[in-house]
Amino acid sequence: MVGNTNILGELKGIVGDEHATSDKHIMYAYSYDMCFVPNKLPQYVAQPANVEEIVEIMKLCNKTKTPVIPVGANTNIGGLCIPKKDNTLLIDLRRLNKIIRIDEETRYAIIEPGVSHAQFAEELYKRGLRFGWPVGPPSGTVTGCAISHGISGMSGRYGLNSQMITSMEVVRPTGDVCRVGSCAIKEDSWHSFLPLPRMDGIFTGWFGTTGIVTKLAVYTPAVPPYVDVVTCSTEEIRDMYKYMLEFGRYEMADDLTAVNWWLSQVPIPYPYKEKPADQHKWNSYAVLYGYTEKELEAKVDAFHTVIKHQQELGSTVQVTEYPEEAKRGRTELPSQIVGSTKNYCKEAGGGISWPGTFTPANKWEEVYNKWEKIYKARNLSPATRITMYRGIHYGMLRAMTPINKQSPEETENAKMAIVEALGAILDAGGIPYKPPVDFNVEINKRADKGYLKLMCDIKDMIDPNGIMNPGQLLIR
Amino acid sequence: MEWDFRNIDDEGELNLKKFFWKCTACGTCRSGYTYGPPPTFRVICPQGNKFGYQGYYGSKGKAALARWMTGCSYLKDEKFEYTPEFLHTLYSCTECGGCQNQCMIDFKPHIIDTIEAMRAKAVQDGKGPLKEHHVLVMSMKNNDNPYTGPRAIRAKWMKKIDNDSKLKDINKESAPVLYYAGCTPAYNAPVRDLALSTVRVFDKIGLNYGALGKNEVCCGSTVLRIGERDQFERVASKNLEQFKMLHDERGVDTIVTSCAGCYRAFVEDYPHSDAYKECMDGIKVMHTSELLYEKFKNGEWEPTKEVKMKVTYHDPCHLGRHLKDWIIDWDGSKQWKGSYLDCIDRGVFEAPRELIKAIPGIEFEEMKRSRNNSFCCGSGGGIKTAFPDWAAENASLRVEEAIDTGAEMIISCCPFCHANLNDGAKVIKSECKTMDLIELLDQAL
Repeated sequence: MVGNTNILGELKGIVGDEHATSDKHIMYAYSYDMCFVPNKLPQYVAQPANVEEIVEIMKLCNKTKTPVIPVGANTNIGGLCIPKKDNTLLIDLRRLNKIIRIDEETRYAIIEPGVSHAQFAEELYKRGLRFGWPVGPPSGTVTGCAISHGISGMSGRYGLNSQMITSMEVVRPTGDVCRVGSCAIKEDSWHSFLPLPRMDGIFTGWFGTTGIVTKLAVYTPAVPPYVDVVTCSTEEIRDMYKYMLEFGRYEMADDLTAVNWWLSQVPIPYPYKEKPADQHKWNSYAVLYGYTEKELEAKVDAFHTVIKHQQELGSTVQVTEYPEEAKRGRTELPSQIVGSTKNYCKEAGGGISWPGTFTPANKWEEVYNKWEKIYKARNLSPATRITMYRGIHYGMLRAMTPINKQSPEETENAKMAIVEALGAILDAGGIPYKPPVDFNVEINKRADKGYLKLMCDIKDMIDPNGIMNPGQLLIR
Repeated sequence: MEWDFRNIDDEGELNLKKFFWKCTACGTCRSGYTYGPPPTFRVICPQGNKFGYQGYYGSKGKAALARWMTGCSYLKDEKFEYTPEFLHTLYSCTECGGCQNQCMIDFKPHIIDTIEAMRAKAVQDGKGPLKEHHVLVMSMKNNDNPYTGPRAIRAKWMKKIDNDSKLKDINKESAPVLYYAGCTPAYNAPVRDLALSTVRVFDKIGLNYGALGKNEVCCGSTVLRIGERDQFERVASKNLEQFKMLHDERGVDTIVTSCAGCYRAFVEDYPHSDAYKECMDGIKVMHTSELLYEKFKNGEWEPTKEVKMKVTYHDPCHLGRHLKDWIIDWDGSKQWKGSYLDCIDRGVFEAPRELIKAIPGIEFEEMKRSRNNSFCCGSGGGIKTAFPDWAAENASLRVEEAIDTGAEMIISCCPFCHANLNDGAKVIKSECKTMDLIELLDQAL
């Protein structure tokens, strides 16, 4: 056992003997995630059962100045829940796992933070509803993904998962409980943030540094009965970008994505392998839904119109046949097999991370070409994905980077590729999402001073003792 | 006789370490999930469900324990030490393999080997198993069974066999089929009828078979699961030699057992002996349900009496998802060295179901978790011995799932599941009981 026995004793007094521990082997199991961030053992783990217990824990942590990090399913890919400071308490939220209400008529659901995508999917599909399922493990939590600006198979049309949040309840670092959105005005009404001030921004994208979300309401659109996946390929990223730009204008696709040859291999070749000359460099898929057959037909027609137009402009784009199994992988989410992050990295083994960014689409080509050089120089595959979000004004550019975690040297090599790639994208105006601490160093170097001061002021106001995930944002 | 079980600290290119470091910590192993459609989500890890922390959950937790136990290369200042809490985590896994069924990476085929290798290491270091297991281990040493029953009463159950039974004493007479009853029906009173029912059913279908009586020796499964390899190897070696003798001198070509644990040991664990091929040459191992289903399909018998009952079926882990032939690219000629390619499922899933459905009057309903995604009763891996209350509590969750189907009775094919599920029913004061398939068939013949 490690840690201060008084704090552990008080934690046990709050959550019960069985739900707080300092046992080292358990701390070790919480000391890492999928990414390259080095292990660091927390001092305590507590598993509260309700909001009241979380409030009591926060009061204790303020009194003892104990660092706190909330944890969902511990399936993070950026080290967000790995302690940066000694003496850290992880609050494992797995016991708060209720789906409180699914409002079928107005299509939103209220859930607790321990609810997994798998659990949520089962209940939603029974009601003909869906959510933005990420390409991640079904055991990951809906709340963790959504409040960290996670993306999904619906981001092309609906935006980020955080853009599907409609209301929330939060335990602030001081232990105060607040509601944000319509539920703040009427207790049982969780339909929308608007037209109130968007205070949800204080709790999304802050990576557990401003509070613990204890209830989350999200929009849950209906499952349309008609679906198709249209696919095409190009030899250059420029041609792919132009096709996606034109098709993205229609704002029809739930998911409009392209992956290069290295990423389409699943698993990603590790170490680097040359692309065979007879295979396309870029492959795109667009997931199209329709509530009527005619609606879907019109969307497919639009796709072919765009392809024809691009070909007339001299593009290498061509329609491709996509295996049925691969098509299902794009629509049957959350997926245990096809879509799960683990499959990308199984040749290297042990981990994966990325320079995952939101980047203006017109910068994709410039940045990707730099990335390809960076990755090849480190004998790694430049396994890159580009995705349009909510139309075309911004999109995702990321390189999935497998990590052999058994080898500290290979892990460091992968990390350095990611950090170098990050420099290239920040210079082009891209912003990394779910960033590990190393990324924040680079982000903050470039950040507007007024922006950083505002962040510091908000943080000081909401977390006066600086106990929540200290060291994560590195804003001062 | 030499045995080649893998060790947690083996050297070599494709040692266990190589594989438990392949775990990405994605946590897919935490829950039983299938897309469907419709998608279904279920709790799959009894240990994680009960104890909750990372480290307890699924194969991700076991990979963490194995890394911690063997020295994590990222934490040079931290040194592994055995603590009671570590041993609790290590020994509170039921080894059900539920997590293994979810995992899709190269660690998948090696998950249960890793757990058992950690336990074997704990035993080797004088720290394992748990003190609650000591009685079991001493009984195995002294009595060749885990139930503290003297050898002399091993065959006591046979005194209740009808006088006109065709069961032969295979120590003296030849028969093609050896009925290996196993320790549980011999020593565990609540499931003793299992062996008697087996004999009655075999008699009714006219099987030419025999049993060893007091010369039967434990299969060794219970001690192997808790890391006591020496004891396992001792009894397993005796069995292999005895099986060879029965084949050579008594004409045995089939060993049939009604115990899922014995069956798993014979087909999955005994092949680790260098004498396995020689001793088992010409001998087929079958679970009772397989043998009966084969003969049923061949038209050699059929259930004739009506049994009016609504039932569901519980898949024992040892008769189901544990039985797989893993296809691994050991030499790297297909993908990369050690990559998991596929598995051939040898789980006995259909035979029991088909036999149940063949009984006139039976109404059958599946539980939500079944076959490879079945929820473990909580008895295996040494849990019933060390954590009897939790084992029963976990079984009660399974009984509740059975109740949800409307079943009056749970049917299973494992005496451990049978006993534990009935204990689980007591925990929640349920009338929904468990009986073995063979007992049900006995009623139907």
